[in-house]
Amino acid sequence: MKRLLALIAALAVMTLVLTGCGEEEKAGKVLRIGTMSPLTGPYAADGNDIRQGAEIAVEVMKEQGGVEGYTDIQLFSQDTACDPKQAVAAANKLINEKVTAVVGAYCSSSTIPSSETLAEENIVMLTPASTSPQVTERGLPYMFRTCGRDDHQAPAAVKFMKDVADVKTLFIVDDKTTYSQGLADGVSIAAKAAGIEVLEHDHVNQGDKDYSAVLTKVKAANPDMFYISLQNSATGALMVIQARRMGINATFMGQDAVYHPNLIEIGKNAAEGMFCTFGAIDKDAPAFKNFLSKYKAIANNEPGAYSAYSFDSTMAYMLAVKAAGSTDPAKVRAELMKLDFVGASKNVVYDEKGDSGSNYTVYQIKDGKFVPYWNSLTGDKY
Amino acid sequence: MRGSEHWIHMEFFIQQLINGITLGGVYALIALGYTMVYGIIQLINFAHGEFFAAGGYMGVILISWLASQGLHPYACLALALALSMGYCALLAMAVERLAYKPLREASRLAVLLSALGMSIFLQNGLMLTQGVYDKGYPTEITSGGFEWGLVSVSYMQIFIVGLTATLLVGLNILVFKTRIGRAMRATSQDKVMSALVGINSNRIISITFAIGAGLAAAAGIMVGLYYGSVNYSMGFVPGIKAFAAAVLGGIGNITGALIGGLIIGMVEIFAAGYISGEYKDVFAFIILIGVLYFRPSGIMGENIDDTRV
Repeated sequence: MKRLLALIAALAVMTLVLTGCGEEEKAGKVLRIGTMSPLTGPYAADGNDIRQGAEIAVEVMKEQGGVEGYTDIQLFSQDTACDPKQAVAAANKLINEKVTAVVGAYCSSSTIPSSETLAEENIVMLTPASTSPQVTERGLPYMFRTCGRDDHQAPAAVKFMKDVADVKTLFIVDDKTTYSQGLADGVSIAAKAAGIEVLEHDHVNQGDKDYSAVLTKVKAANPDMFYISLQNSATGALMVIQARRMGINATFMGQDAVYHPNLIEIGKNAAEGMFCTFGAIDKDAPAFKNFLSKYKAIANNEPGAYSAYSFDSTMAYMLAVKAAGSTDPAKVRAELMKLDFVGASKNVVYDEKGDSGSNYTVYQIKDGKFVPYWNSLTGDKY
Repeated sequence: MRGSEHWIHMEFFIQQLINGITLGGVYALIALGYTMVYGIIQLINFAHGEFFAAGGYMGVILISWLASQGLHPYACLALALALSMGYCALLAMAVERLAYKPLREASRLAVLLSALGMSIFLQNGLMLTQGVYDKGYPTEITSGGFEWGLVSVSYMQIFIVGLTATLLVGLNILVFKTRIGRAMRATSQDKVMSALVGINSNRIISITFAIGAGLAAAAGIMVGLYYGSVNYSMGFVPGIKAFAAAVLGGIGNITGALIGGLIIGMVEIFAAGYISGEYKDVFAFIILIGVLYFRPSGIMGENIDDTRV
């Protein structure tokens, strides 16, 4: 009797195990998407915005019935810490997780090396934030970019200085990353070509808090405009605070990395009146409002600068998989090229290189908010 | 024209000097913690930078809370400073009890690794509890200052230098004029002998950690107020610089920590001001290497027993 019971029990367990396996095989069709961004370190604010943007996109897609042929969509998030070595390691981890696409990274200096690793496995990479021209200039077939490019951003900024702000003398400071220095060099070249005198182009180190030495130089040079190309909004805020405290009267201008609610939150009065270039996001458009309400409801906080781009990148990939009916990279690429959808950040259409066009707008900080000021495409003030 | 050019150079120099003293004061305050702990148990406390960060966070939390209670901003600041210093002192005593005391008889390498582990633990603890975003300080409290031509001195800079000086004088009195100070000096010279004459060395070590961390907390608040924000990883870079300052001055030597801090601060500012911002760390560490090459025990030397804690 006892033996019989044991046998039945063993059989029951076996059945359970077998059904378990069977179910897992049935559920095998899971759409696996990776995200890569700096979740720790000085750029963690933007990095977490990117991860959240992708999460919200997956949630929204699930609400809309998901992607046909896939029972679930799973997101795997990796931390790059804006470090090239860690970014490559993160890419390898995502390859092991068998993701078919990666949304990321944030720093161009992370995106470029990790995209080489992902390209070996034919994994689609869509960056929501890396603006260095090099990202899409290397002929990688599965590299896409949802944000703008620095070789468009720099001329846009200089055109604004020349035509709108009437700048004669310029002082540039960057913090030596692939992105921040590349952009600052671009601004320097474009400014000289436009007849603006570049008084000096100086550099600071990442992670510095004390800018007094460089700012004393700025004060002595007394430029019309002080162009701040730092990799991070919080450090940008510190620079602005210290510059105003030192009594620098120049107009401040930043770029898309210092464009973040953090800049205003920390910089407070010192940031007031500062200009920043960032992609034109129409905050009154229904697509953005829809994204905003979903974001606030799910993430329980306000979206950051790159949340909308990350949302759109993830959405673009899921829509392409939906249309292709598979995750085969060649088919997905074909669908991504055909894609034309109204995203939260802009109308997403990828060109042959994988770029989606730049639409830089100059924003001004006014009463603690980024207010659109001048459109680089039309050359008109708002 | 030449005269005015000359004045601009002069003013530029004076401004950089003021910047250097301010930064040097902050480094000196952090360096003191390294040097005191090293003096007493020959441990390089890698978790020290984390006390600085914890102090900065505690400061902003307390200042905001006290301000919401309707206190005068200066009263908020003074109270927050005192409470944060106390908090970090207790934190350091707990860390010492937990991570270093059990290893008192173990090899120095074991304690060093324990310190590194504690640093990672505390930094990640800060990240998990306070978030990854920078936290802004209410900089309005100390805005304003004096201005002469190109030279501007903010109230904040005066406050930093003044507070650093006050804390240093206080520390000197404590170490050289009080019973606790004498016990500290005795313990650093010979732990066994001082125990034989009735000094509770464990208690003295604990107090040393507390004082060092209290000074680091004060530095954390000053950095937050001066630069405008705090971040969970803010302890790392100043920690390394302050450690360099302590070694430069002669590790274990209080006066040395002050001199080392000022030198590192000055070199950084002048390298950034006259050469380029990107080379300031290079020059700070070249000075360190140069001094250690010719004077391995640092500027003040590490074995002047009278000034060693």
